[in-house]
Amino acid sequence: MSFLFGSNAEIDIALDGQASRKQAEIKTEDGKKEKLYLYYDGESVTGKVNITLKGKKMEHQGIKIEFIGQIELYYDRGNHHEFTSLVKELARPGELTQSTTYDFDFVQVEKPYESYTGANVRLRYFLRVTIAKRLTDVTREMDIIVHTLSQYPEMNNSIKMEVGIEDCLHIEFEYNKSKYHLKDVIVGKIYFLLVRIKIKHMELAIIKRETTGSGPNTFNENETIAKYEIMDGAPVRGESIPIRLFLAGYDLTPTMRDINKKFSVRYYLNLVLVDEEERRYFKQQEITLWRKPDKGKKSTGFVYHGPLQSGPQPPET
Amino acid sequence: MTHQLSPQEEQEKLLDEAMQVVKVQSFQMKRCLDKAKLMDGLKHASNMLSELRTSMLSPKSYYELYMAICDELRYLEQYLADEFQKGHKVADLYELVQYAGNIIPRLYLLVTVGVVYIKANDHNRKDILKDLVEMCRGVQHPLRGLFLRNYLLQCTRNSLPDCQEGEETQTGTVKDSIDFILLNFAEMNKLWVRMQHQGHSRDREKREKERLELRILVGTNLVRLSQLDTMVVDMYKKNVLPGVLEQTVSCRDYIAQEYLMECIIQVFPDEFHLQTLNSFLKACADLHKLVNVKNIIIALIDRLALFAHRDDGSGIPSDIKLFDIFSQQVSSVIQAREDMPTEDIVSLQVSLINLALKCYPDRVDYVDKVLETTVEIFNRLNLERLESSSAVCKELSRLLKIPVDNYNNLLTVLQLKHFAPLFEFFDYESRKIMAAYVINNALENSLYIPTQEQTDAVLTLVAPLVQDQNDQPQEEEDPEDFSEEQNMMGRFINLLISDDADQQYMILTTSRKHFGNGGNKRIKYTLPPLVFSAFQLAYRYRDIAEEDDKWEKKCQKIFTFCHQTIGALIKAELSELPLRLFLQGAVTAGEIGFDNHETVAYEFMSQAFSLYEDEISDSRAQLAAITLIIATFERMSCFGEENHEPLRTQCALAASKLLKKPDQCRGVSTCSHLFWSGRTVESEGKEIQDGKRVMECLKKSLRIANQCMDNSVQVQLFVEILNRYIYFYERGNDAVTVQVLNQLIEKIREDLPNLEGNEETEQINKHFQNTIEHLRMKQEAPESDGPAYDGLVL
Repeated sequence: MSFLFGSNAEIDIALDGQASRKQAEIKTEDGKKEKLYLYYDGESVTGKVNITLKGKKMEHQGIKIEFIGQIELYYDRGNHHEFTSLVKELARPGELTQSTTYDFDFVQVEKPYESYTGANVRLRYFLRVTIAKRLTDVTREMDIIVHTLSQYPEMNNSIKMEVGIEDCLHIEFEYNKSKYHLKDVIVGKIYFLLVRIKIKHMELAIIKRETTGSGPNTFNENETIAKYEIMDGAPVRGESIPIRLFLAGYDLTPTMRDINKKFSVRYYLNLVLVDEEERRYFKQQEITLWRKPDKGKKSTGFVYHGPLQSGPQPPET
Repeated sequence: MTHQLSPQEEQEKLLDEAMQVVKVQSFQMKRCLDKAKLMDGLKHASNMLSELRTSMLSPKSYYELYMAICDELRYLEQYLADEFQKGHKVADLYELVQYAGNIIPRLYLLVTVGVVYIKANDHNRKDILKDLVEMCRGVQHPLRGLFLRNYLLQCTRNSLPDCQEGEETQTGTVKDSIDFILLNFAEMNKLWVRMQHQGHSRDREKREKERLELRILVGTNLVRLSQLDTMVVDMYKKNVLPGVLEQTVSCRDYIAQEYLMECIIQVFPDEFHLQTLNSFLKACADLHKLVNVKNIIIALIDRLALFAHRDDGSGIPSDIKLFDIFSQQVSSVIQAREDMPTEDIVSLQVSLINLALKCYPDRVDYVDKVLETTVEIFNRLNLERLESSSAVCKELSRLLKIPVDNYNNLLTVLQLKHFAPLFEFFDYESRKIMAAYVINNALENSLYIPTQEQTDAVLTLVAPLVQDQNDQPQEEEDPEDFSEEQNMMGRFINLLISDDADQQYMILTTSRKHFGNGGNKRIKYTLPPLVFSAFQLAYRYRDIAEEDDKWEKKCQKIFTFCHQTIGALIKAELSELPLRLFLQGAVTAGEIGFDNHETVAYEFMSQAFSLYEDEISDSRAQLAAITLIIATFERMSCFGEENHEPLRTQCALAASKLLKKPDQCRGVSTCSHLFWSGRTVESEGKEIQDGKRVMECLKKSLRIANQCMDNSVQVQLFVEILNRYIYFYERGNDAVTVQVLNQLIEKIREDLPNLEGNEETEQINKHFQNTIEHLRMKQEAPESDGPAYDGLVL
């Protein structure tokens, strides 16, 4: 295109402190991963735009840079919902005679949502430089990634529940929290109160549910993120099976609820018992995932996430 | 056509396939590790471990697979350990391996990594151990769980904290190790027991077999506990044993219970057992009804009994009343287990008695206490007449033989008040066998029974050998066995010996009473030794005559006793035996020479005569008997002429009245000696040497010989008579002359060649030649005080 229409300038965006800025991975639409510079809510986005002329001069109708946050719903390609859109003018209409560098700064930009690429929806932030021309504008986009950080939740009760099928199976399960950060570990246990079926094994699955649209046009997309066997063989009454699931190894995002009225991403723990006839018994519980500010310190070696101390004790034999 | 694989081939095939995977994956694992690609190495390790997820393999095949994989895991462990050694901290490895989706590979890796962590730095040891043993709960499949936990136990073998409280609490103490092992033990045992309830009920036997193959996995926990050096007896008592017993009892599985109890006994030291007897034995009472509690208790008793005998002198501490504890607990166990077979109850008593004998050899009362308990139990169970083939009976025999064998002293056995009463529970046959056992023991040990009371007790105890029993079978027993048995009793009588003569007499009268009831078939074995024993006693009285002024009266009594006793044998229609006893009595009385001895001796002689006359009818027996009577009489010197005369006349008369001529001939010629070397009171111990009467006898016998029709016998008799002539000639009997000898020699020389040439003749000839040879020697070299042989024609 640029060749045909004689685009004779190259645009390059350089962020301030690029070399030391952290990068994070995100999935692209086609499922590949790319590494992008990472920003947080309220952080200024500053940098330089370099315009390199290929010819001797270039006429233009003005040069601007935009900071855009938008939600793209795949079934509605034409409409992108911009929830943030900031513009800075870099140059008034005129003529460029040499390669030029412009500073830009979006000070303390509000970035209310987390970047996200899902099955039916994508939330992205990007910078866009536009050189307005009479025929075709010359543009350049640069995606950044935004992580939303949360503080430790004030309320974080354990999830504890007794479920069962009458005269067949009674279990009590307990997860130590209802809210987990992304590097957290789920500790819990399953206590068998009554077992009359021949259980083959038991697993814990993490299910991600992405909801898009609203009303009759609501789409749900479930994805099993993790499948984790926690028990092999058939327990008997009174057995207590420990659960310990490290979340850091899985591809998780914080829970997102009703983002800009467009979509939600929720997480569920699904406890599944499979019997010898391959029948499945399960119970789903929603958990809230959140992103904890990274202290940048990694634990080394063994951290004891011991079994839960509370909960029912086995009856006296 | 598809070939149907047998179950065994099927197993081999499955195992082979699994082994192939292990081979490939372990190879890959090592390659990755060698290239320092840890994550890939772990992935291959996990793939390899996934083979252990199978449900298709039998325990045996699974074990082989497990062993192969463990071998390969050691490589991983070594690699990780080396990395740690080099200071390459592999961050978060403990977390990392937990991302494995499947629990079996995940936990094997976790254990492997956990142990490496502990070895590299024991700072977290306590927590890691606790974590590992808890996390293993995730495997509830019995076979897979057992092996996983076994892996845990093997890997941590050298890493368990083993120090006392207060030393290094950071890294854990022996207490933590105990908790760790106890938990692992409890879980493994539950899994092991659970195997029993899986699958079809028709496979029960197979399953039990498989379970037995796996028991060592569970037992290893107890072995590990016993290897904790700093575990002191107090800890064992308070923390270890209660936990182990609780688990053992509550699992309610007899295979497990039997094995584990046995295990406890074997793996822990005796010192520990001694301090925990009560709780261990109490637990025995609560075990499943199919458990052979007897074997367990016996094993413990045997072990402690052995301990008591150890050379290092430690022995049983005096503050532990070993016997009392066992006695009490065993009886509680018996009461708690109503369906315990009686033979098992008795077996327990057997061990108790062994314990008492080994640990308290001096405490006869302990042994008796066991017997008393046994009697009480039998009474409570209303047992009687145990069949000799029954198990109870065999056990009871075993029980009773123990004191016999141990003491090797019948007198000590008699001190056991409850020994004899137990005999009453036997049937006839067993009673007799036991009685024989007791008697044999006394014989082997040459044990003298020195009092009347003891004699009475023994003979009452062994009544089946002494007299007929009410419950004895109708049919006659094997005569050979019977005779052997009664001969044994005869020998036993020789053991009834007291140092005190009066006591001895009472022993005799008491045993006489017992044996007197033995019936005709027994008394011929038992009364003769009694009579001889009585004769012995009479000699003893003579020897102590100076100490006992009533000795003569006592001797009189003894002979009356003997007379009666011999009389009993006559009543039993015996003849030769009493005859001999009378003769022996006569000799004895004569030799002892007490007050009334001549009368007694005469009486005994006359009794012998009347037996001879009335009871002995066979001619050969008659000859033997009269020869014996004559010989006996010839030896005696206690008679005055008044008694001697009728007796010797009687002898001569009896001899001449024998039926057959050769018998008459020999009898009469034997009688000749009575007139030569016989002694009377009047001759004052000197031979009467009535040459004339001797000659008469010999002439008469020659006359009778002449009447014999059989030439051969006749010549034989002549030779015999010639010998008698020579005898008397040499003794200086004047009535015998050379002329008489010549006549007889000539007569024999004439007749001898006419005899048929056979073996008998040969013998007669030889006898004659020898006689002639004797004479020739005398003739050629006469003795100075001997007679001359002038004129003898040889």
